[in-house]
Amino acid sequence: MEQRLSWSFVLVLVLCAACGSATAPDSSGGSADRLVVWDWKSGDATSAAYLDRARADFAKGHPDVEVEFVAQPFDQYYTLLGAAVQAGRGPDVILFNGGGRIRDRADSLLPLDEYVAGDRQRLVGWDAFTKDGKTYASPVTLQGHPLYYDKALYERAGLDPDAPATTWDDFVEDCRTIADRTGATCFGVGNKEGIGIQFFLSCMGSAVLSPAEYDAWTAGKRNWTSPGVKRIFELWQQVDAAGLNNDGVNSTAMFNDAFALFQSGRAAHVIGLMSDVGHWKDFAEFLDPDDIGVMAAPVVDPAATPSLPYDGGIGYGVAKWTRDPALAADLVRSLTSTGALAAFSADAGAITSDTGIDVSAGGPAATAIAAGIKTGKPALHVALPSTTVDLMGRLSQQLLSGSTTVDEALAQLAASDRAG
Amino acid sequence: MAPTVLIVVALRLWPLALGVNFSFTGDGDLNGTPVGLDNYATLLGDPLFRTALGNVGLLVLLLPVAVAIPGLLATAIHLRVPGHRVYRAVYFFPAVLSPVIVGAIFTLLLGYDGPLNDLLGVVGLGPVDWLGDPDVAIFAVVGVHVWATFGMALVVFLAGFSTLDPSLLDAARVDGASLPQTLRHVIVPGLARTIQFVFATTMIGMLTSMFGLLFVMTGGGPEASTYLPEYYIWVQQGQLDRPALASAASTALFLVMLLVGLAQVGVLRRAGREG
Repeated sequence: MEQRLSWSFVLVLVLCAACGSATAPDSSGGSADRLVVWDWKSGDATSAAYLDRARADFAKGHPDVEVEFVAQPFDQYYTLLGAAVQAGRGPDVILFNGGGRIRDRADSLLPLDEYVAGDRQRLVGWDAFTKDGKTYASPVTLQGHPLYYDKALYERAGLDPDAPATTWDDFVEDCRTIADRTGATCFGVGNKEGIGIQFFLSCMGSAVLSPAEYDAWTAGKRNWTSPGVKRIFELWQQVDAAGLNNDGVNSTAMFNDAFALFQSGRAAHVIGLMSDVGHWKDFAEFLDPDDIGVMAAPVVDPAATPSLPYDGGIGYGVAKWTRDPALAADLVRSLTSTGALAAFSADAGAITSDTGIDVSAGGPAATAIAAGIKTGKPALHVALPSTTVDLMGRLSQQLLSGSTTVDEALAQLAASDRAG
Repeated sequence: MAPTVLIVVALRLWPLALGVNFSFTGDGDLNGTPVGLDNYATLLGDPLFRTALGNVGLLVLLLPVAVAIPGLLATAIHLRVPGHRVYRAVYFFPAVLSPVIVGAIFTLLLGYDGPLNDLLGVVGLGPVDWLGDPDVAIFAVVGVHVWATFGMALVVFLAGFSTLDPSLLDAARVDGASLPQTLRHVIVPGLARTIQFVFATTMIGMLTSMFGLLFVMTGGGPEASTYLPEYYIWVQQGQLDRPALASAASTALFLVMLLVGLAQVGVLRRAGREG
């Protein structure tokens, strides 16, 4: 037996020595008259009209080209995409999340700058799809982290729902009032996957950091030992210790459990999203749309100027191995055309990258978010490398359980950020 | 013979070799570039991977419990406790459930505001954060895994009992042996090979089949306390786009499995000689 095993191992090693890299990304998923698109949206009913409009727009210029959308499950999407890329059988057009998700994979993508120049002014959110000055995808939606609040709970607590607190101290006081009079916690938070801290950092960042430090952070000059940054992570810890969060935060999933706490009136606030999930339209299925408020992050440091944190949400890029880059780029332009995005906004409730689209039919929350776009800034966590975001998730759980200190956590994050 | 060898080489050894080879290349900008043992050095320096390996050690320690439960239940069934036919079906039933379904069910049951904590509250005990406390979560996940999978081991034990000479049990009963005495002196020696087989298959199951539960129940958390190598590999490959590092971790897991497998083969062979 051992002898046979040894020979197997020798064979493995010989085979190893004989072969080269496992990668050979030189073939296309499509052909000259066919484009393959991978996403995790085309299976959703709320995306049907959006894709129909995009197909129609593309067909006007390319009537003979077939477009095939392949919907993948989101929780496996990047795993499947990575395997496809490594196998050299990737799709032509690929849906990405903005930030680290696409930047980590930019070497598999075609720079689109020359193809999408005509969309530059019409769309916003490009930075999330940019690396080293090159654009790798066109934004479809904007993704950000508004602070939603339940106006009905404010009313029941005797607070003015149209004038939420603007300072942190007043906010905490209001939370105590709401808890006393309604039994609801201040925040609905889920940190089971470690993403609670991402939402918190980006939502509260502009209420703690000065505008200059905020801008420096998103520009890559991050001082992890500054008092402001330390204050954000201290707040994360203190909010939980003070009982402002729901119980069991580290075992509560953000999707859908934390949002369910808000929707069911058990939490007065939630740091949600503004794309097409975990947002005002989802909440409006359970709450009266007029009761869903959006407030600026309460000011912690008077030197700070709160702003809406947002970036490009999802966007389509083109694989560098596609046979006809111009053709694939045309499809990307159709997928970000005004008509298609208007349909996506109406059906999925997404705040799209085309800010010319009217969202007022969505109610006060959508209107408030749209109003914040002009003065908004990129979210703090989106600027971080994926490995640092991953580490931050685990450290945020340790901060809540008390098994690490803010200083220790920040030292680890700084080292990870430096290493990239 | 030759076609068999070709099939084994093409479908087993060649993919394995590609994976091992890939572990010696870089990720990101170094994609496809040979980097020697760098990925293995990264693994050794990564506290997350060390945690995952540490949890493998914990599983080894918990293995006797995972084997004892189906063993004792199979003993009870074999000794025909009242309702033994029902128990046989009920115990086996979770084995046909998907780990994702099992995970979802127990995520609800073990939730901080879930029914188990409600029950504890009724009897005056405080709530336990079963899936959010880093000291508790790994035991909760392993416990659910054992619950979900012991039915198969129980079937193996029952098959083992069918080979046990009934006259030995009759003799023990006539001699007035207690149940613990019967277990120790008749059943355990008589089922030695079955027990060892269940040890081997349970260990392999724990190391390679807990991904679904981890994914659904804890996502590797809290604080990475429930990470296992398989989950680490998935995160590196799928979430962080580091396939070469994931390949190195896969190779490391393969070596761990090989060591465990060889140890088990040795034990079984020794038991066979003794038999």
